[in-house]
Amino acid sequence: MSTATITTDINIGPFKIPSNGQNMIMNNYAERNNISVEVVIPEPMMSNALATTQWVHNDRKLNRVILCSIHQLPTKQDRINKLLSNMEDVEFHFALEGICGQGRNFLLERIKEAKMFMSVKTIDSTKTTWLELYKMLQEKGTR
Amino acid sequence: MELYQELVSGSGYTVYPIENMQLFKKLRDSFINKINIPTESKKNINTVRRALVKMSYAEINRSRINLLTFSDLSDMMINSCSSLVETLCGKELFIQRRAHIIFNVPGKERLRIWNHYEMISGISPFTYVLWAPLHDLEDDGGAYLVDQKESIEVMKKEQADGLINGPTVLNMMGNQKPARLKFGQVVVFNPFVLHGNNSFNSEFARIGCNVRFQSYNMPLLQKNSDYLKYYRLPKYQKAEK
Repeated sequence: MSTATITTDINIGPFKIPSNGQNMIMNNYAERNNISVEVVIPEPMMSNALATTQWVHNDRKLNRVILCSIHQLPTKQDRINKLLSNMEDVEFHFALEGICGQGRNFLLERIKEAKMFMSVKTIDSTKTTWLELYKMLQEKGTR
Repeated sequence: MELYQELVSGSGYTVYPIENMQLFKKLRDSFINKINIPTESKKNINTVRRALVKMSYAEINRSRINLLTFSDLSDMMINSCSSLVETLCGKELFIQRRAHIIFNVPGKERLRIWNHYEMISGISPFTYVLWAPLHDLEDDGGAYLVDQKESIEVMKKEQADGLINGPTVLNMMGNQKPARLKFGQVVVFNPFVLHGNNSFNSEFARIGCNVRFQSYNMPLLQKNSDYLKYYRLPKYQKAEK
């Protein structure tokens, strides 16, 4: 059994997590789940292709990888296809979401969920107040 | 008053019967099984409650780790009250990825949940909370809720002073009376309603579970996929009594 943790760019979907923080999150997840980590893969900044991980997998035959979040999965279709064809036999763990699984459907569901989160509108908390937030509830409803 | 009106324009909270009791009883059984703490006699919710009172903080925290395996708790809670959830937010939802199970252990020094607005967690102003005990509440171990009007008056005063969840809120705690819910009742409330627990005396700990949900169509303050997950209520739901 070969397990790797993967660090990526600091910008992870809606989050900003420096590499050191990513390692803390993944190592804590591994510890809580009694997982021993043998390989640490640094993906380059400004990339969410997980290409380095796929090269390492070809060489080392990874069984399990740990990422911080579903938002580190590729978003472009050609990158998604490559990941699915190369790594569908690998168990993926997402530490922040606390979910794990394996296979094409599992990964596609996670990619879809990440996309759904990114498409949701947000309220800018730096430009509002507590009472304005309350007013939003009163005026906009909840459906 | 209609459910939605009561929650948005009325008191901000209401007590509701759990629709699918068969599922909610299954949830309670799963909890007893997964918490896996030694009890003096046959395991049931009351022997677990009694055992919790005798445990140290460290032992209770260790037992909480066992609950990490309770990965379908949120879905079970939401599906136990699916009509209520759908009435308020529709079928397409964001729900809390891991619902909470909270113990209120008797004794003044063991109180852990202070008076607060749910809004301080920064999820969204459109989130509701479902809170349900896993047994009848026969003492003051339950959660109290402060009427929305009063909660907002406090918020106004605090905001004018540049505060939130400050001394005014914390000093309200002693005067509150927790609702004595039955097993099978749930309280639903909006994120602007102050709520919390009081310390209490009993031979039993209080065990309650809670989950947050909101419409997928309403905005979030943060796209926190660590806390929320997308969830679609099943198409055809027939409530089992």
